[in-house]
Amino acid sequence: MAEHLLTVDGLAKRFRRGDSTVAAAEAISFHIDAAETLALAGPSGSGKSTVARLLLRLIEPDAGSVTFEGENWLALEGAPLRTHRAKMQMVFQDPLAAFNPRATVARVLDDPLRIHRIAPRAERPRRIAGLLERVGLSTDLAGRAVHEVSGGQRQRVAIARAIATKPSLIVLDEAVSALDVSVRGKILELLADLQRTDGIAYLFISHDLGLVRVFAHRVAILDGGRLAEQGDARAVIDAPQSAVGKALVAATPKLHGFTGQDAS
Amino acid sequence: MRGRFLQTPEAMAGTAILVLLATMALAAPLIFPGDPLRIAGPALVPPFQDWTLPLGTDRLGRDVLAELFHGARTSLVVGLAAAAASLAVGAVIGTLAGFAGGLADEALMRLTDAFQTVPGFLLALAFVSIVGPSLSVVVMAIALSAWTGPARIARAEVLSIRERDFVAGARVVGMHPLEIAFREVLPNALPPVLALSSIIVAQAILIEAALSFLGLGDPNRVTWGGMVAEGRTVLRTAPFLSIVPGIALVVTVLGVYLAGEGAVESAAVKKGLS
Repeated sequence: MAEHLLTVDGLAKRFRRGDSTVAAAEAISFHIDAAETLALAGPSGSGKSTVARLLLRLIEPDAGSVTFEGENWLALEGAPLRTHRAKMQMVFQDPLAAFNPRATVARVLDDPLRIHRIAPRAERPRRIAGLLERVGLSTDLAGRAVHEVSGGQRQRVAIARAIATKPSLIVLDEAVSALDVSVRGKILELLADLQRTDGIAYLFISHDLGLVRVFAHRVAILDGGRLAEQGDARAVIDAPQSAVGKALVAATPKLHGFTGQDAS
Repeated sequence: MRGRFLQTPEAMAGTAILVLLATMALAAPLIFPGDPLRIAGPALVPPFQDWTLPLGTDRLGRDVLAELFHGARTSLVVGLAAAAASLAVGAVIGTLAGFAGGLADEALMRLTDAFQTVPGFLLALAFVSIVGPSLSVVVMAIALSAWTGPARIARAEVLSIRERDFVAGARVVGMHPLEIAFREVLPNALPPVLALSSIIVAQAILIEAALSFLGLGDPNRVTWGGMVAEGRTVLRTAPFLSIVPGIALVVTVLGVYLAGEGAVESAAVKKGLS
């Protein structure tokens, strides 16, 4: 069996709600190969974001194993975990909430370069400019506050921050859902381009199957914290087997080429 | 922001008082050079009699106006230093407690409880009488009890801020937890903590005056509290000796409150508009 970039096996998380516990994720198993996009789709509350947060160690799972780049990802703690975080990054849904309200664009991009000792202090402004150019932004933006730039630009800054540490996997948690349709297309193009040139794998979390069909290689559909089905993106979306898959496909707007539902 | 800040009459009055006070404090060595505690004329000259000594002299013939000016220095220095110290200590402890959570939170908050349950003035009194009266000890003594308020507010703010996405973002980037706490979270938790500063400054000025009144102030400095105490022995024959510094204290505390209220108000308006 070939080694996958990321292998998730039997991941589970329960949250306490009052006296009882609710399973936010149960027996989640999937894998992602290098330079591959796996979409995680499902209705609201199906556990998509929980899986993302579990993978990034923002919350700890109750059970299961995660192997990332051949290492036991869940066994990492403290300083080794912080070092390894360089390889797995995340882009959040709300580009405004994802940044310190006081930060400038330059500071946001400086942090990963400094923390992971990617470039010495004197060289960092040049690296920041390079990152901004890579995501299609003007280098003049560096001195601006993050809250001053537009939503689309902000999400590009988030992508620049994510690629600053040269990760092999980026988790995109509804990363384009809050953007308007024209901006969304351009961001998806940028992401696809980064995948081609740098071989980055994506875990693309979305509730929009139209987007998933064009952007992802494979899809896993979640329902109530469990995997309902997974497989080739086009095959699953064109002929869903599970009830929730059928419901999601039926809910996708039928207009040709139209993929824009507003973010929930 | 400045324009809006000065719009309410209270804020204007408060600011005017503070500006006047700061000018008095800064100008004291220029207008009244030399030791304000030296004898300047006959004893117990009432105010408005001799225009070289406009507010008269005290029991030992010291110039009351000079003492008042030099006393403003002590009051302002103690008020600002004590507030700065207690805000800094409180913000750091509150941030650590809120961000770390669990056992560290529990321990730090019980420590805060312990300090909060002892009356602040008694704590200051005990501290000064053990360590000995000097300006820096008085500042520490006041900060010792005043940091608990800022600590509680900082903790409450941090508890809500630490759940925000940008904190998760900082963790994903691999930032050290201490850096997240003090560089990402603390600056965003500060505004409501700083709103406390006027109350703390005013309290500090009053505590300092009370300590001086009890003879526990720095003996080498003129303080308004010390002047009130000094006048107490001749309260019947020369009440002005206690009344003048008393008025100065009341006006100062009022000015600090009013200016502080104005600042909080204008910050609230600013928040509401954005």
